[in-house]
Amino acid sequence: MTTTQDTIHETAAQGWVGRGIPQVDIEAKLRGQTEYIGDLRLPNMAHAAIVRSTVAHGRIRGIDTSRAERVPGVLAVATAADAPEVKFGPYTPDWEILARHKVRFIGDEVAAVAAIDEPTARYAASLVEVDVEELPAVFDPFAALAEGGPVIWDEYADNVSTLFTIERGDTRAAFDAADLVVDDVYATSRMYHAYLEPIGVIAHYVDGVHVLHVPSHIPYRARQTYSAALGLPLDKVRLVVPPIGGSFGAKYEMNTPLIAALLSRKAGVPVRILFGRDEDAAYHRPRPPFVFRNRIAVRADGTFLGRETDVVGIAGARTYWSPATVATAVHRPDSLYNFNAMTGRGRLVYTNESPTTAMRGFGNAEALFGIEQMIDEIAERLDIDPVEMRRRNIVQEGETSLHGWYISSSQLPACIERVSEMSGFADRRRARPPATAGERVGKLRGTGIALGHHVSGYRPILPDYDGSSAILRLGPDGSIQLYVGEPDVGQGHVTVMAQLAADELGVAPAEVKVQGIDSAFSPAAVGTLASRAATMAGMATVAAGADARRKLIAFATEQWGVPEAAVSWQAGTLTDTTGANEPFTLRQALHRYGVVNCGLPLLATGVHHPKTVMPDATKYGNASAAYPFAAHVAEVEVDCDTGQISVVGYWAAHDSGTVLNPQTARGQVLGGIAQGLGWALMEDVIMSEGVVRNPNFLDYRIPGAGDMPAGVEVEFVDAYEPNGPRGAKSLGEVALNPVVAAIANAIYNATGLRCKDLPISPERMWRYLHLGEPVESSSAGAIR
Amino acid sequence: MSHHQEPSGAPEVGIELDLNGSPRTMIVDPVQSLASAVRAEGLTGTKLGCETGDCGACAVLVDGVPMASCLLPAVRAGGRRVTTVEGLGTATELSPLQAAFMRHNASQCGYCIPGILVAASPLVDRDELTRDDVVSELTGNLCRCTGYESIVDAVLDAHQQVRSGRTGGAA
Ligand code: FES
Ligand code: FES
Repeated sequence: MTTTQDTIHETAAQGWVGRGIPQVDIEAKLRGQTEYIGDLRLPNMAHAAIVRSTVAHGRIRGIDTSRAERVPGVLAVATAADAPEVKFGPYTPDWEILARHKVRFIGDEVAAVAAIDEPTARYAASLVEVDVEELPAVFDPFAALAEGGPVIWDEYADNVSTLFTIERGDTRAAFDAADLVVDDVYATSRMYHAYLEPIGVIAHYVDGVHVLHVPSHIPYRARQTYSAALGLPLDKVRLVVPPIGGSFGAKYEMNTPLIAALLSRKAGVPVRILFGRDEDAAYHRPRPPFVFRNRIAVRADGTFLGRETDVVGIAGARTYWSPATVATAVHRPDSLYNFNAMTGRGRLVYTNESPTTAMRGFGNAEALFGIEQMIDEIAERLDIDPVEMRRRNIVQEGETSLHGWYISSSQLPACIERVSEMSGFADRRRARPPATAGERVGKLRGTGIALGHHVSGYRPILPDYDGSSAILRLGPDGSIQLYVGEPDVGQGHVTVMAQLAADELGVAPAEVKVQGIDSAFSPAAVGTLASRAATMAGMATVAAGADARRKLIAFATEQWGVPEAAVSWQAGTLTDTTGANEPFTLRQALHRYGVVNCGLPLLATGVHHPKTVMPDATKYGNASAAYPFAAHVAEVEVDCDTGQISVVGYWAAHDSGTVLNPQTARGQVLGGIAQGLGWALMEDVIMSEGVVRNPNFLDYRIPGAGDMPAGVEVEFVDAYEPNGPRGAKSLGEVALNPVVAAIANAIYNATGLRCKDLPISPERMWRYLHLGEPVESSSAGAIR
Repeated sequence: MSHHQEPSGAPEVGIELDLNGSPRTMIVDPVQSLASAVRAEGLTGTKLGCETGDCGACAVLVDGVPMASCLLPAVRAGGRRVTTVEGLGTATELSPLQAAFMRHNASQCGYCIPGILVAASPLVDRDELTRDDVVSELTGNLCRCTGYESIVDAVLDAHQQVRSGRTGGAA
């Protein structure tokens, strides 16, 4: 049988980068052999259940675990008394392994039980009595900001977890000089990552070390967090990362692995916590909802003069990754469009709800939902073509944008050109002006465009360093192992790393075994976030390959006793150009190296230092190695009878530099479109009084195969990024960023109605169409 | 909270079934789902994504018909023919459908894929198969990563391969 998998065993004369090959680890996935966290079993493993707060806000008077402890089969019960009295967190120390003095949201972790099986653990957990003095709770961010309301953390009496402010240029002068000012409010919703694999962890306390099997995409940061929380040095916490069944930003868990760690230490056996979908969907840490007010000052010719933005986001009861998403929401759009001057403020507000965290798009997709619609509105009011309007204002290659971000490569103009052509944008728009009030009957079609951009890594993530490192271990048996620290979350990084290393070593990708991540032997990487993995770990991999070649050449030089210049390396073979010695294949060289060095593998390393700088106190400085761009066009059909919106056509043009693997790259774009479509039209975590009302896949619908448009066209324009591996830059998040706005702009083009709240559900659309509601964001009054 | 694969502690019963082509006796809890029972047998390719019948990750074939094994009590599989993802190909060869999924790289994180392969496997033997057929037959299978395009393409490709008799997925 010949499969495409077989073809990747052949050595490709022209190299492997740029070829569409399936993921190197796909066969195990297709056979059901990939071992995810829920499939792993350690000997004598116990199972745990978490006791959660049933009140949104209250003072803990006491926790009685005695009845739970007496249940036969219970091995350990943990409360805050078992944890060191430290608070921790990635930005703000407002996390506890288990709630100590107060509970702050429904679902807050208060205690946990480990037992011989799950039913026993669950039963015992139900017997833990938590005595809570209830306090007034607050769920609305604007109510939380108002004076005199409930205070969730005494240290933050105003309920503001994070305040982000930024100012560049003379915004006041810009507005004074403006011919047109648009001022609008847009609001984005709480979104569930809805990875198919629910949260899970296995903790094993052995020989004084907490071994945590945790599907984390940010293992090094997670390890820092966990060791701080446990009050232990880094080397007393070991992280082992199994294959990850989807994350999209969610799987850097704050306290679930720590709860398992406490239990394992107490019970003396490995302890697993594995959420069912019910628990996962009810208590997950969602994408933060945002309210944006934007004011944009424009000259009559369509040139942007200035921008003012005010953003309010919900932190929930503890501060997770959301401070960075607020900062992103405030100032990242300034590297897509040149607004010339800007003033921004972002407030991240505590509420008595589950903490919110990072999700693909990370505040940028949210910001663009509003800005891209406002640009269309400006274009309409100034009677400028919306494509031309964008072209005129985008930041160009070679420019340094408002906050010091250097755009080392941008083929965004080409993306705009291509997506317009592919979709026939101008003709579609000419054919159908937006419906007016009397025309909103039957089925209406409309087309919308939106742009997007993102980063390829972000300098402030880890204060210590940016960049990445890689280790190649070339064994005397000819085996090649590559160690990087950035986990594959499904995008296929393992595959592109194998392709990059294969080209450096003159072998096939299947011969490069990219190792799973284990803090005991993997580099301490910043992680897979901020769309950084392919760019950063890719550069480190190429560097490690070059180091391996250098070492092989030096070894051959020494073996052959010839000048180094006489040794040539070509496609995996070392040749003595003096002709005095037989050539070495890579395999022969490695065997020989092992013999000479008593079995030692050849170890090569690569370190990549990107040309990024830590932004200064004013938030100025080139924070990312490279910036990817995209232009998307969506076509929708709105059923005026039901309010139902279908996406019936979709076109995407991308600049991600060199495309390392067209097959996995296309998959990223399609996946991004699907998630954006879900966010735009159907997904919303419905909360009332701090309770998730739709914690399952029936009531929280994500797109199915039938929701996707057929014949999506994706094109990667010719591009080269000097700061990325073989000219590549990122793709994962930019694939999502324009989607929601493109769909919303298409809806306006169909109906003449601007939708400013997400999701644009059938019910919402129907109300806009038939109840004549002012199409103003429901949050507008609160932020103006 | 959830039910996962752990037994309830009620008296167990023995069932006999054909599991991936071999006769098998399984001792199961009366309330245990078939998903939980096959996973306890080491067949962990059957995934649990929701345990409420809403995601399709746990699909298995029961007498050739795809079913959500998270909802089906294992005792109901007694005397029947059950195929899990592990039973689709052989030790040495992938099934034509699996081979097509490989050609199309129809997987990202892979968590939904076993259920999708199982649910789609009867489709490749149909006389006629359109894109709309595939889409509607996969309504019960959720994937958060791929956007479905590669999956639908792979099913259609496998159907084409099988129909033209070139089974084995020659690329
Ligand atoms: S686990 Fe059975 S349908 Fe989701
Ligand atoms: S590949 Fe990840 S859910 Fe389908």
